[in-house]
This record gives sequence, C-alpha cells and structure tokens, in this order.
Amino acid sequence: MAKAEMRKVFWPLILSLIAIFLLAPLMIVVVFSFAANTVTRLPIEGLTLNWYTQLFGNSEFWSALKNSVLISLPAAIIATLTGTAVAFGLSSNDRQKALSLLSILSLPVMLPPLVIAIGLVVLFVRGLGLLLGLPAVIIGHVLLTQPLVALVIAARLATFDQTAVEAARDLGATRFQAFRFITLPQMKTAIIGAFLIAFAVSLDEFIVTLFTIGSGNTLSTFVWGRMRTALDPSINAVATLLLVFTIAVVLFSAAQNKRQA
Amino acid sequence: MSARKPLINWLAAPAFSLFGLFFLLPLALLFVVSFWRVSNFKLAPALSIAAYWRTFAEFGGVLAMTILIGLTVAALSTIIGFIFAYGARFHGKRYADGLILLVMISLFGGYLTKIYAWKSVLAQDGLINSALLNLGLIDAPLAWLIYSPFAVVLALTHFLLPFAVLPIHAELKNVDIITLEAARDLGASRRQVLHKIVLPQIRRGLFAAFALTFLAAAGDYVTPLFLGSGGGMMIGQFIALEFSTRFNWPGGAAMSFCLMAACGLIISAFWVGLVRGKS
Repeated sequence: MAKAEMRKVFWPLILSLIAIFLLAPLMIVVVFSFAANTVTRLPIEGLTLNWYTQLFGNSEFWSALKNSVLISLPAAIIATLTGTAVAFGLSSNDRQKALSLLSILSLPVMLPPLVIAIGLVVLFVRGLGLLLGLPAVIIGHVLLTQPLVALVIAARLATFDQTAVEAARDLGATRFQAFRFITLPQMKTAIIGAFLIAFAVSLDEFIVTLFTIGSGNTLSTFVWGRMRTALDPSINAVATLLLVFTIAVVLFSAAQNKRQA
Repeated sequence: MSARKPLINWLAAPAFSLFGLFFLLPLALLFVVSFWRVSNFKLAPALSIAAYWRTFAEFGGVLAMTILIGLTVAALSTIIGFIFAYGARFHGKRYADGLILLVMISLFGGYLTKIYAWKSVLAQDGLINSALLNLGLIDAPLAWLIYSPFAVVLALTHFLLPFAVLPIHAELKNVDIITLEAARDLGASRRQVLHKIVLPQIRRGLFAAFALTFLAAAGDYVTPLFLGSGGGMMIGQFIALEFSTRFNWPGGAAMSFCLMAACGLIISAFWVGLVRGKS
C-alpha cells in the first residue's frame, strides 16, 4: 500500500521540484525588484517601485534600450528573411542533405559565442579595417538567429500540405502566385513566431554584443556594466524588464502556434 | 526536378553568404592570427606555434578543468533533463503542455539575469545563507556555496537544463506509450523497458542534449567570472582576457582553437559511442 502511494506522489513531486528549480531564480529576481531591501535576503522589507523609477530616470537605460531596438529589430528582420529563404530553398532537397546543410548553418550557435565575437573583431578591425559598432553587432546577431528561424520554418514546412499548391499550379497559377496566395498565408504564423524568437534571442544576447559594439550599450551590456560595478538591486529591475519582455514574446509566439494548430 | 535546382541555390544563398563571409572567413583569419606573434602590443605576422605551446604550458590545467566542468554540467543536464522530459511526456497528464511551456519560459528568461539571480541566492549574505543562519541551522555562512566549482556547475546546469529537455522531449513524443505498456504486460521490468525500449529510441535526442549542453558549458566565461573562484577557472575567461586587456590576439586565438578541438574530440567520441549503441 505504502509503495503504491509513494508511486502516485513520485512523478508530481519530481516534476514540481525540477519546475521550481527552473523558475525560482527568475521569480526571485522579479520579486526583489519590487522589494525595498538593498540586499537580496529575507525578510522582505517592504514593497516599492523605487528601483524602477530610478531606472526610468537614468538616461543610460534609455540609450541602452534604444540601441537594443536598433540592433535586434533589423537583426531579427534580416534573419527571418534569410532563414525563411533557406528553409524554403532546402525543402525540396532530400531530407539528409537538407539536415546536413541546416546543421552547418547552425555552427555559429554551437561554438562558444566568445569565438564568434573575437572572430568578428578580427575580421572588422584587422581584416576589413572597419569600425566596430551597431552594424557589426547586427551581423553577429543574424549569424546566431538565422539558423533558429531556418529550423522553425523547416519544421513547419515538413508538415505543410503541398497538394493545394500543386492544384493551383495545375489550374494555371505561376509559382509566385501559388507561393503568395497559398503557401505564404499558411506560413504566416510560423514566420511571425520565428521572427519573435529571433528578436528575443537577439535582445538577450550579450557576449557577441559586448565585443562588437565598440561604444554604447544595449540592455544586456547595460546589465553587465551594472553587475561589474555595483551589485545593487536596481539590476533586478532591468533584469525583470528584460525577462518579462522576452517571456511575453515567447508566450505570444506559443499562443499563435496554438491557434494555428 | 533538375529545373528547380537553381531556385534552391538562389534562396539559400543569402544565409550561406552571410555564414561564409562573417563566420567562416573570421574563423580562417583567427586561425591565421593564431600563428602570429605579438610584440609591444602590435601584431606581427609570423609562422610560429608559440601561442599553441603556451596554451598547453600555461593553461593546460585550466583547459582540463573547463572540460571537466563541461562534462559534469552536460551529464547533470542530460540526466535531469531526461527525467523531466520523460515525466512530462508519460506522467504529465493534463499538465504536460504547461510543463514544456515552463521550460520555454525558463529558456528565454535571460542569461545574465540568471547569473545575477544565483549570485543573490548563493552569496555569503544572500538568500540561502541568511535563511540558514536565521533558522539557526548554521553558525557561519557556508563558504563553498559561491565562488566555487559548485556554484558554477549549479548555475550552468540551471541555465542549460531547458536546452537538454527540449531535444529529448521532441524525441520522446515519437515513442508510443502503447509499446511501453505492451512490454510491461509481457513481463518486462521498468528498468528493462527503460534500457531496451525508451533509451534506444531517443539516442539522437540524448546526444543532442549532451552535445549542446557540453559545448555551451565548456565555452562559457561569464558564469565562472561571477560565480567561480577568483583566479579564473575556465579557459573562456582567459581567452576573453587575452583578447581584451592583454591584446594578445594570437594567444586568444590559439586557446580558442585548442578549446574547440578538445570539444570536437569529445563530441565525436560520444557520437561514436551512440552509433555503436547505448548500453
């Protein structure tokens, strides 16, 4: 009897423990961004929005936010274009070849971001003699996010029903018309989802950005700067904003997928 | 079929051009630079293996430690990840989707944010120590909680766990629960079902989980910077140093290639082990 009862509790317990492990650190950051404590420990000394008002009054924060958008928006757009194109281009190849090519494209994601970063620095500074800055960061982010887009779109394409396209072609539509009126509308959610994922990844990206931005900050390097100098709880506020935004992006993308399915 | 080929190349060209120009080319340049010398903070083209020799002489121990931490994190992530994915898939009932959503939320929760969170939790005056002190369970803060291999492994495992869960769960979705139940009906023990039916089917997922987490852990440098011991624990920290303050590009480049070579060897060894079948 006891063993059967233990069995019933086992999986809910294990799953809950691991779920708590995954989320607790994030929740701690969020909770303490509203706490009056100057040190992160219990008990909580009262609720306050001070850390946020302090943050919003900081011009460095706003310029970091501006740079983040100036980098991540173009990077995500470009990555969505190139990644979607790759997914479509490889869709009519045999699966093995397509998989190998996608794996190669994913190499930048597998190697340490540090190596990507220093590679770009060497290329720009030594090889091309160009200045580092926003364009360099955008390129680095595209390298890191276009494989993700390609994988998401390729996965969606794998379940895509080609018969409607073939029927349209039989009825006289050009390849472009078939793409525009049949394929594209159905792929819309996947493409938007992929764009959002690329945007979220780029927003959070830190290592490549740090090495290639030259001067100035993005949100993530701003957090880094704060962490290097003073470990005050205002970091909780920025981190919470970043966290809430990227998670909202993911939840929105997931909701879109649910509607599609 | 052959008429479509040009279209395929044209579509894939933008992505692969960016890849070639801004990833392969820099890697090639980096490789060339690793054979150069540095004198008086100026790069001097040369053909010398001094940088590589120095990597092994000065940083051999650090490289070994890096690999060890990488393997530990990968093992922990893969095992815990498998447990979570398996539980969510076969015992999650109506929470299965929600559990995976939780994993995705954690995945996108931020990189620096998590390091900062663990710093708050593990610090001498942080959450855990202050709670234990207040409860009277300890007399002095636990020193090993932070600035130690423990902290680095913990934080890296926490960060990389979603990367392990997702590939394993994706493969587990293809495992039919009916096969498992049939095996149990025919008398197989739980362990036999696990070893002979589940694990063989998800070999690729397990490999992906292990490879991803190992590579990410071995290449990381920010986590040991904030949570590791002061001198420097992982080779990524030293590579970053060589490239920033020390301006020793050949040194940093050589260390990077040594790290990548070591990781490549280990991943290949695991791939071979997997192809020959898991025990």
